[in-house]
Amino acid sequence: MSNSSHLELTKVGIDFPTPKGPFTALQNVDLKIQKGEFISLIGHSGCGKSTVLNIVAGLYQATTGGVLLNNKEVNEPGPERAVVFQNHSLLPWLSAYKNVELAVKQTQKGRSKQEMKEWVEHNLELVHMTHAADKLPSEISGGMKQRVGIARALAMEPKVLLMDEPFGALDALTRAHLQDSVMEIHAELGNTVIMITHDVDEAVLLSDRIVMMTNGPAATIGEILHVDLPRPRNRIACADDPKYNHYRAEVLKFLYEKQRKVESVEEHRAKKKTSNEEKSSNVA
Amino acid sequence: MAKKSLFTSMKHAVKSLRIGMISVAIGSAFVASNVSAQELGWPEKEELKFGFIKLTDMAPLAVAYEKGYFEEEGLYVTLEAQANWKVLLDRVIDGQLDGAHMLAGQPLGATIGYGTKADIITAFSMDLNGNAITVSNDIWKQMKKHVPHEGGKPVHPIKADALKHVVDDFKSKGKPFKMGMVFPVSTHNYELRYWLAAGGIHPGYYAPHKGDTSGQISADALLSVTPPPQMPATMEAGTIYGYCVGEPWNQQAVFKGIGVPVITDYEIWKNNPEKVFGVSKTWAEKNPNTHIRVVKAMIRAAMWLDENNNANRPEAVKILSKSQYVGADYDVIANSMTGTFEYEKGDKRQVPDFNVFFRYHATYPFYSDAIWYLTQMRRWGQIAEPKSDDWYKEIAKKVYRPDIYALAAKALVKDGKAKISDFPEFATETGFKPPQKGFIDNIVYDGSQPNAYLDKFAIGLKSDSKL
Amino acid sequence: MNKQQTVPSIVNQVKNVQWPSFNTILSTAGLPIVGIVIFLGLWSMMAKNIDTSLGQFPGPAAVWQQANVLVDEHNAQMDKADKFYQRQDERNAARVAKDPTYQPKIRAFTGAPTFFEQIWTSLYTVMVGFVVASLIAIPVGIMCGLSKNAYTAINPLIQLFKPVSPLAWLPLVTMVVSAVYVSTDPMFSKSFITSAVTVALCCLWPTLINTAVGVSSIDKDLLNVSKVLRLNALSHVTTIVLPSSIPAIFTGLRLSLGIGWMVLIAAEMLAQNPGLGKFVWDEFQNGSSESLARIMVAVLTIGLIGFILDRLMLTVQRKVSWDKTAVLR
Repeated sequence: MSNSSHLELTKVGIDFPTPKGPFTALQNVDLKIQKGEFISLIGHSGCGKSTVLNIVAGLYQATTGGVLLNNKEVNEPGPERAVVFQNHSLLPWLSAYKNVELAVKQTQKGRSKQEMKEWVEHNLELVHMTHAADKLPSEISGGMKQRVGIARALAMEPKVLLMDEPFGALDALTRAHLQDSVMEIHAELGNTVIMITHDVDEAVLLSDRIVMMTNGPAATIGEILHVDLPRPRNRIACADDPKYNHYRAEVLKFLYEKQRKVESVEEHRAKKKTSNEEKSSNVA
Repeated sequence: MAKKSLFTSMKHAVKSLRIGMISVAIGSAFVASNVSAQELGWPEKEELKFGFIKLTDMAPLAVAYEKGYFEEEGLYVTLEAQANWKVLLDRVIDGQLDGAHMLAGQPLGATIGYGTKADIITAFSMDLNGNAITVSNDIWKQMKKHVPHEGGKPVHPIKADALKHVVDDFKSKGKPFKMGMVFPVSTHNYELRYWLAAGGIHPGYYAPHKGDTSGQISADALLSVTPPPQMPATMEAGTIYGYCVGEPWNQQAVFKGIGVPVITDYEIWKNNPEKVFGVSKTWAEKNPNTHIRVVKAMIRAAMWLDENNNANRPEAVKILSKSQYVGADYDVIANSMTGTFEYEKGDKRQVPDFNVFFRYHATYPFYSDAIWYLTQMRRWGQIAEPKSDDWYKEIAKKVYRPDIYALAAKALVKDGKAKISDFPEFATETGFKPPQKGFIDNIVYDGSQPNAYLDKFAIGLKSDSKL
Repeated sequence: MNKQQTVPSIVNQVKNVQWPSFNTILSTAGLPIVGIVIFLGLWSMMAKNIDTSLGQFPGPAAVWQQANVLVDEHNAQMDKADKFYQRQDERNAARVAKDPTYQPKIRAFTGAPTFFEQIWTSLYTVMVGFVVASLIAIPVGIMCGLSKNAYTAINPLIQLFKPVSPLAWLPLVTMVVSAVYVSTDPMFSKSFITSAVTVALCCLWPTLINTAVGVSSIDKDLLNVSKVLRLNALSHVTTIVLPSSIPAIFTGLRLSLGIGWMVLIAAEMLAQNPGLGKFVWDEFQNGSSESLARIMVAVLTIGLIGFILDRLMLTVQRKVSWDKTAVLR
C-alpha cells in the first residue's frame, strides 16, 4: 500500500520559533494520497491546514517526519506541486495571459514558442477566461482572478494541485461556478488535488476524502471521511441525496461537537484567562 | 521665449556645420601653396578660459574680448567671474583656468609658498591705483571731528591719524575694531596696513611659522578677509566698520548710503601698481606663443582704455556694467572710471589718475613693483625670516617676466598697432623704477634696497627682526 | 441677416453644452488663480515696503520686466554668436591662406552663457547627478530589500550620510575631483563634475531607502509564486521584485529629483558651475539696482522647473506603475 501511494505524509510535525520558545503547530500528520484523488482539508481557523499545505508545497520545512511524492522527498517548492493561493496572487502588472505565460515559460521549457502559446490559451480556455486574456488583474473580478490563478497552476502540469481556500474570498454564486469548473477540470485531467476549505458543502461536494483536523496547538488529523458519491456530482441532486447529507452531518459533527471551538463569550473569556495563566506559569 | 532660443541654437548648429565645410574646402585648396614662416608663431592653444573677480580693474580683459583683440590674435577666450580670490588662484593652479586677473601679491605669494605653493608668473600689469578705503557712516561721523576742514570740506588726503581717535576709543571700551580687506596677499591688505600704520594704528602681524595666518598679532585694528563684491553687504551687516577694496565697491557704499570712502590708494601711494595678469609657469612654458598673444591683446585693450585722455571710458563703463562682467549700475562704475571719485555723498572730486591702465608704463611688469609687495609681506610677517636684497630680486625676476612683455610689445609695433615710444626703452630698461616718492608718509621707496626700505618704518618688522 | 441668426443659435448651443458645475470650475481652475492673485497682491504690497540698500524690493512688474530683459539679452547674445562664427570663418580662411598646413576648426562661441543656457546647464547637471545616483541607489536598495543582513550592514551608513548638507560635501568633492579627474583635454569641466557628484551624493538616499522598503514589503504570496516557479535569482529580481517595487522606487526617485534640484543650486553657487546657482550668485555680487529683480526671476524659474520636473516624474510614474488605483499626487 505505502509503495503504491502517490503522495505520502509521514509523521509530519512542525515547530515555529517564537520569543517564548518553539511552538508546535503540527504533530504526527500521517496521510497517504492516491493518484487522481481529490482531498479536502477541513478544520477550524488556526488548526494548521495551511501549514500542511505549505509543507507539501515545500514552502515550509517539516521539523519532524517528511513528505514523499512518487517516493521522492519533498524539501523545496516546485512546479510539480502547483499552488493556487487564497488571494489569487497574480502578478498585478501582468495581464491574465502573461501571468499564465510566465508559468509556462518557466516550466514548459521543452515547448516551442507556438506550442507555448497554444498551451497558455488552452489553460485559459479550461477556466473559461479566454475572453479576458489581455486584462490586468485589477480589471477583472475576484472570481475571474481565481480562475486565472487556477489556469496558471494547471499550466505547470503539476503532479499535485494544492489549493489554499481557493474560493474563500468569493461570493456564494461565483464560488458555486468555480466549484463546478474545478470538478470539470478534475474529471478531465485527473489531477491529484489537495484543497483547504472552511466550507462543509464544498468539501463534501468536491472531495473523494475529507481530512478533518483537530484544533491546535499540536494539531493533527482527527478523522478521515470517505465520500462515496458517484461522479459527476450535481449540487442540486446532491442537496436531496441522504448520503450527501449524511456526510455533511458527519463533518459538522466533527467540527462543532468533537472539535468545538465556537464558545459562548463567557466561556471564551474564562478559557482565555486560564490559558494566559497557563502560559505565564509555563514561562515561570 | 524658450522656443526662440531653441530655434536660434539650432540655427547655430546648422550654421557652424556649414562654416566647417567651407573652411575644410578652403583649407584643402590652399594646401599646395607655400608661405614664409611667421615671426610670432601661431598660438599653441586657441581656446582659453580666463577668470576674473568683479572689479573695474578687470577692464583690460573685458575690452580685449569685446573689442575683438583676443580674436585678432587667433584666441578664443571665455571670461568667467570667480567666487573669490582663493577659488580663482586654485583654478589657475589646477588648470581649470588658463589665466586670470590677479592680485599682484598672488603670483609672488604662491611662488614663495605663502598660502598655496605654486609657480605663477606674470608678464602684464593690469593697472595702477583703483582702490580706496571706506568706513561706515557711524565711524565717519566720529572721524570727521578730527579731520581738518577747508571751505566746509575735509582736506584730502585724510590720514589715519583721524581714525586713531576712534580706534583708541574702541580700545578703551574693550571693543575690537574690525576692518575688511580682500585677501591676505592683496594690494588692499598692504595698502590698508600702510595707511593705518602711517597713522599710528598697528594692523597686526602674521606669523606663518607659528601657524598664525590671521594677521592680528599685536593689532589695534583687526583685519579679515571678505570677497570684494560682498564688502558693502558685510559692512552694512555691521560685521566690519570699514574696508579697503577696488571699484565699484567703494562707490557702491556711497550710492547705497552705507559708508564714506575716506582715501583712495592714489593718495596713499601715487600710481601704485595693482592687479596683474597671472598664469601658471608650466602653462606659460607649454604655450609661449599663446602667452605673447594674450599679452598683445591686453596691451591693446589697456591702450584703448587710456586713449585720448580717457575718451573711451564711458564705453568701457558700459561694457563693465553688463551682468557677466562687473554688473554694477552704470552710474556706480562711471563714478570712478571716468576720472572722478565721490567721497562723502555729493563731495565728488577730480581724480584723473584713479584708474590708470596704460600711461606711465602701467602695463610693464617692473621688478621694483614686485619687490615692494615682497617688502610688505616681510613687514607684516608673512615672510617670517630675514632675507637678503638678492633674494628679493631673485624672486621678482622669477615671477615678473618683462621679457615676455617686450616680445609682445615688439610684435604689436611690427603689426603697426603701437608705437615703440609707447613702451619703455627695452634695451636699457632695468626693471627698477628710480626711487619713488609720493607715499602718504613721505618715505621714499628704492626697489634696489628692500632691506634698507624696511628699516625706515616705525611700525612693522625691520630687515632683521623676527617674531 | 446672417449675424442675427447666428447669435441666438450660438446662445442655444451654449445653453445646451453641459457645463461643468460651478464648483468644479472653482476648485480646478479658480482656486489656484485666486491663490496666485492674492500672492501677487501681497507680494507687490510687501515689496513697496521693503527698502534694501539696492533699492526697493522688486514687485511683480519689475520681475516681469527683468524676465523680458533676460530674453532680450539671450537674443542679443545669439546674434553676437552669429557674428562670432562669421568672423571665425573669415579668420580661418585667412590663416589657411598663409599657412596651408593648418587644419581649420570651429570653436564654440566664447560669450557668457545667457540665462537660458544656464537653465540648460543646470538641468543637464542635475540629470547627470540624478541618473548616477539612481544607478547606484536602485541596485543597492534592491540588495538591502532582499537581504536583511545587507540592510543591517548598510543602514547605519544610510542614516549617517542622509542628513549631510551638500555644502558639507562640496569642499571634499571639489578636492577629490581636482585630484582624481586629471586630463589634458577634459570632456567635462571640473565644476560640472563637482556639482553633479554633489547632487548625486545628496539624492542617493531617498531612492535607496524607498527601494529597500519597497522590495522588503513585497506581497509574501508573490514571493511564494516565485518559489513555486523556481525562478532563478535574476528572473526573480526582474519579473517579481522590480515590477512590484516600481511604485516605491518611483516615490523615492521623485523625492530624490526634488532634493537634487534644490542641492544643485547651492552646489553651483560654490562650484562655479555655470548654471542657475551661479546666475544667482553673480547677480548677488553685481549688486546692481536690477540684481534683486533678476534673482527673483531665477527664484521663480527654479521653482517652476522644480514643479515641472516633479510633474514629469509623476507622469512617468503613472505610466509605469501597475497600481492604477493608487492616488499619486
